[in-house]
Parts: sequence; structure tokens; C-alpha cells
Amino acid sequence: MARKSWRCGMAVVLFALLLGACGSSTPLSQPGALKGTVTVSGAFALYPMMTRWAEEFQKIYPDVQFDISGGGAGKGMTDALSGAADIGMVSRSIKPEEENQGAFFVGCVKDAVFPVVNAKNPVIDEIMAKGITQDTLRKIFITGEIKTWGEVTGRPEVRDEIHLYTRSDAAGAAEVWAQFLGGKGQADLQGIGVNADPGLLDAVVKDALGIGYNNLGYAFDLATGNLPAGTIVVPIDANKDGRANGDEIISTLAQATEAVASGKYPAPPARVLNLVTKGRPAGLVQTFIIWILTDGQQYVSEAGFVQLPPETLSQALDKVK
Amino acid sequence: METESNLSVDTNKKRPALTWRGRSDRLAGRLFFIFSVIPVGLVLLIVVMLVIKSWPLLKTHSLWLLLSGQTWKPEEGFFGFWPFIAGTFWVTAAALGLAVPPSLLTAIYLSEYSGRTLRALMKPLLDLLAAIPSVIYGVWGTLAIVPIIQNNLIPFIRQYVGNIPLISSQNSTGFGILAGGIVLAIMIMPFIIAVLYEILDNVPRGLKEASLGVGATRLQTVRWAVLPKVLPGLVAGIVFGASRALGETMAVLMVVGNVAQTPHSLLDAAYPLPALIANNYGEMMSIPLYDSALMTSALILLILILIFNITSALILRRVLGRKWV
Repeated sequence: MARKSWRCGMAVVLFALLLGACGSSTPLSQPGALKGTVTVSGAFALYPMMTRWAEEFQKIYPDVQFDISGGGAGKGMTDALSGAADIGMVSRSIKPEEENQGAFFVGCVKDAVFPVVNAKNPVIDEIMAKGITQDTLRKIFITGEIKTWGEVTGRPEVRDEIHLYTRSDAAGAAEVWAQFLGGKGQADLQGIGVNADPGLLDAVVKDALGIGYNNLGYAFDLATGNLPAGTIVVPIDANKDGRANGDEIISTLAQATEAVASGKYPAPPARVLNLVTKGRPAGLVQTFIIWILTDGQQYVSEAGFVQLPPETLSQALDKVK
Repeated sequence: METESNLSVDTNKKRPALTWRGRSDRLAGRLFFIFSVIPVGLVLLIVVMLVIKSWPLLKTHSLWLLLSGQTWKPEEGFFGFWPFIAGTFWVTAAALGLAVPPSLLTAIYLSEYSGRTLRALMKPLLDLLAAIPSVIYGVWGTLAIVPIIQNNLIPFIRQYVGNIPLISSQNSTGFGILAGGIVLAIMIMPFIIAVLYEILDNVPRGLKEASLGVGATRLQTVRWAVLPKVLPGLVAGIVFGASRALGETMAVLMVVGNVAQTPHSLLDAAYPLPALIANNYGEMMSIPLYDSALMTSALILLILILIFNITSALILRRVLGRKWV
């Protein structure tokens, strides 16, 4: 009898330990000494910029380690709020429900989402000459009224179906793209769900009839500044004159950055990318975010992203300090 | 257990020289017990946690409407799980349909026909197949399977057999149930083969020899002597494969299309339960009841898999005549 109760007792203690282990987290950053590990996860939009910042920050503080992973804006938010990451990268606006749960955020840089088609698209010449209007994109992505490439360019004899792709993971890009097209959120976008930014790009690269949307850092090759092989960024016919004008044709990274910075590219899909922490950051994480908002800004245009206006940056800085 | 430990206590009393031995033995027993309790405890813990987390949704929505509902619009408060449950079964059924026949033939070949050398070579290779990470299968699926379906299979089907219900579809991208089924089939084949092989190998040698002895060919022996004997075991092996297929996430997620609709054709896109959880983990914090809905889908999946696993374990236990499988 005694032995049995001992076993029950042990089992109870063990479960208590397991439960306890679930709740605890190790503090990663110590104030003062710049040493430790910063874990960052979330938006693919911010991922290339963040790796660059981490690299430069490490040159100044070699004892600081970074652990950066993608996964989409939603993952960044969930990881930051649950303590799985120190900083969440969130490429959309922060929702009130998230603020209520302690999400603290600052904008750090701007980019945009671009519609992308395959370079071998059957009506590519018309698309490049005329562009596609916001309303046509809405009928493709949200309502699904337009189903063939012929309908897009007013050539009904072209019967090739549109192969519509969207993000399957909770993505900031999907949300701003839906908002641009008059939807509320990602759930309003139709199409085949593909996982992650590179996955979506790859689906379009391999499918001549495909259309999707990508963040700046994937719609363009950040290393060369050109379009990735096999894709073309669709000119959005913003002034609806039925022609793709100079500013509307975006075929290099430099043109894209310029269009976003000058405000000629519509917002959304241009948007501010946010860094999210659970509560106001302290210690190493705070130092890193302040560095991003100050010294880190010099690498922004180099990396192909768009800087926030100086007053927005100083406001963000006040918020973190 | 009781008698054994009593015995060791008795030994302690009679032979003081063995005190340390006796104690260390008892200590080891306790230690091993603790570690063997952990996995069982974890499963229970997970079930309890899932029920607690699902409760907010289960409290406010009727279970029947949740399970049979066709509309999934969390932002508007519609949580219909049917498209995901149906998607899970479609992909699993497709995978089983593709995996079981070749697995059965392979297992029969390995146990009845092949020589010892080939068998010794094949088994580790099959185990290796089972050890490849699922994301690699997923990448292979998107790079190889999806384009083949998109560029070759779908145009062919549309041209020649476009009106057959189970294969005609609006979706022509190649992402869908068939792609998911093919990838999954290859992933679960090693497991099914291993189980089927063991069952076939377990058939008494005398039975086969008697059949061969009266002049039956090997094919006749397999067909009339071996297969009838192992039929329940084959069912168990297949159910075992199904329970693996049900829970597979990454590889399926990458090729299945992730559209929240109830599929009607092999070429439709589907959205299985594991993909739902993995994809939307990120929305958990922002939409009311969403975390509860994801936990409910996890609970549904867990219950489905438990049912499949227990069924296959019970049948296997009967077939192999063992207490534990």
C-alpha cells in the first residue's frame, strides 16, 4: 500500500514539475553587459533587413548572438507575446486585441507588397503596356469574377485560366494586399494557399499562368536589385488611364524603393514594418531596437528598403526610451 | 511487481551483505518507473490542456454545428470544421489508395519470394525512407509532383476524361489532394510495408510448406493459404498507415493548396486539420476565439488519431498473439 501511494505521489510531483516547466522562461538579456542572445521571428518582409542589422550590430558587439527566423507576421506576434521570441517582426498594423495582451510595437522601416506574374504569361505584353487596375485585381483576388487572362486585358479570345496563389500562413503581406483590394483580411483572398514568401514566389516562377504577391525583399532580388528570373512585377494602373505610365512600371529594386518612398506607390500595399516586444523592451533588446532606429538606419536603403520619415523615427525612439 | 519487491526486501533482511545491491535495485526500479510515466503523463496532460483551451468555443457553439459547419470565417465568428475534417479524410484516403497496393506487393515479395540477401538490403533502405524529414518530401512534392500534375495530368484529364466526377475540378494549379496523396503515400509506405512484412512473416511455416507440398505454386500459396490467414492483420497495417497519414503536417501543407472548402474531387485543393493548425498558429492572439478554435481542431485530430491507433493496436494484438504491439 505504502509503495503504491509513493508512486502516485511521484507521478503528481512529476506532472507539477512538467506544468511548471511549461510556464518558465529564461531571461536572455542583462542590462549593462552587451552579451547574450536575441531571438527574432516573424515577417518574411523584414527578414532580409533584420539579418543585415544583426550582422552590423554584431560587428560592434561581438558577444551578442542572434537567432532570426521567418514564419510570417502572425508567428512573430504570437512568438513575441508568448515569450518564444524577444522580438517579433510584424508586417502589418497591430490589432487592439494584440495591444491588450501587452504587444509593444515600433515601426522601423517601410516596404510594400507587389503583384507578381510569370514572365511567360500569355498576355504579358498587354499587361506591361496597360497595367492592371486596382479594381481588376480585386475581381481576380477577392471576388473571383475574373477567371481568365483574356478578361484581364480585354482579349476574350485568350482563354487561359488565371492560376491564383495566396499565402497559407498568417502573413502581413496577405493582410495589406487584401486591404488594398477592399477586403478586411487574409481570409478574403482567394486562391491556392502556399506556405511562406519564397514558396509563393516559387509557385509563380514555375507556373506560366500564375499570379501572386510578394514583399519587396522577394519580389526583387536584393543582391542584384533586379527581378528574380522568370517573374515580372505587374504595373498597377493607379490613374486608371488604361496605360502603364513611367512611374507605374517597376522593374528594378531602385524604382520600387523610389516609388514607395515618394508615395507614388499606393499604401496599402506599401506599409510600415513593426518590431513587437511583450511590454516595453529592456536591456539588450532595448539597446538593439534603439540602435536600429538610429545607427541602423544607414543600412536601410542599402538593403533595398525605405526609411521612415525622421519625425516618425524620433517618435518611435521616444516610445522605446 | 509486488512479489518481486517483497522478495528483494526479504533478501535484504536475511543477507545484510546485499543491502546496497537491494537498495540500488529498488532505486533503479523507481527511476525507471518515473521515466516510463512521463510520456503517458504528457499525453494525458495534452488532452486536458486541449479540452481546457477548447472550452470557450465548445461552450458557446453547438458541437454538431462546429463539426458539420461548412463556413470557416473566424473574423465573423463562423467556425465550421467540416472542410478540414473532410480534407483530412480525402488526403488520407488518397494516400492509402496509392500506398497500400504497392506496399502489400512489396511485403509479399520480401516475405515469400526474395532471397535473404535482397531482404537484408531492402529493409534498411526502407527504414531510411522512413527517416527522411517530412519537409524534404514537401519540397520534392512542390518541385516535382505539382508541376507534373499541372502540366501533364490536368490537361490530359480535361481533354479526355473531364466529366468523371471524382477527378474533374476547377482547380488546375496542381496543388491539391492528389499531390498531397502522392507525397503522403511515399512517406507512409515504409511503415505499412514494415507492419505487413512482419504479419506475413508471422504466418506458421508449416502452413506454407503444406500448401507448397501439395503442389501449389507460390502465388497460389500466397493467395489461398497466407492471405486469408492474415486478413485482419492487413487491415490493421492499413489503419496504422492511416493514423500516420492523418497527422502528417509539413509535407502535406506545402502541396495541398490550403483552401477552406469541402473537396469533391481528387484534384481539388483541400485543407487538412494539421495544416490548419500550423498555418494559423500566428492568428491565435488577434481574433477572438481563434486560439480556442485551433485547440478544438487539435483535439478533433488527436481523437481521430487515437481512434485509428487503438483500432490498429487491438487488431494487431489479436493477429500477432502478443500482449503488446
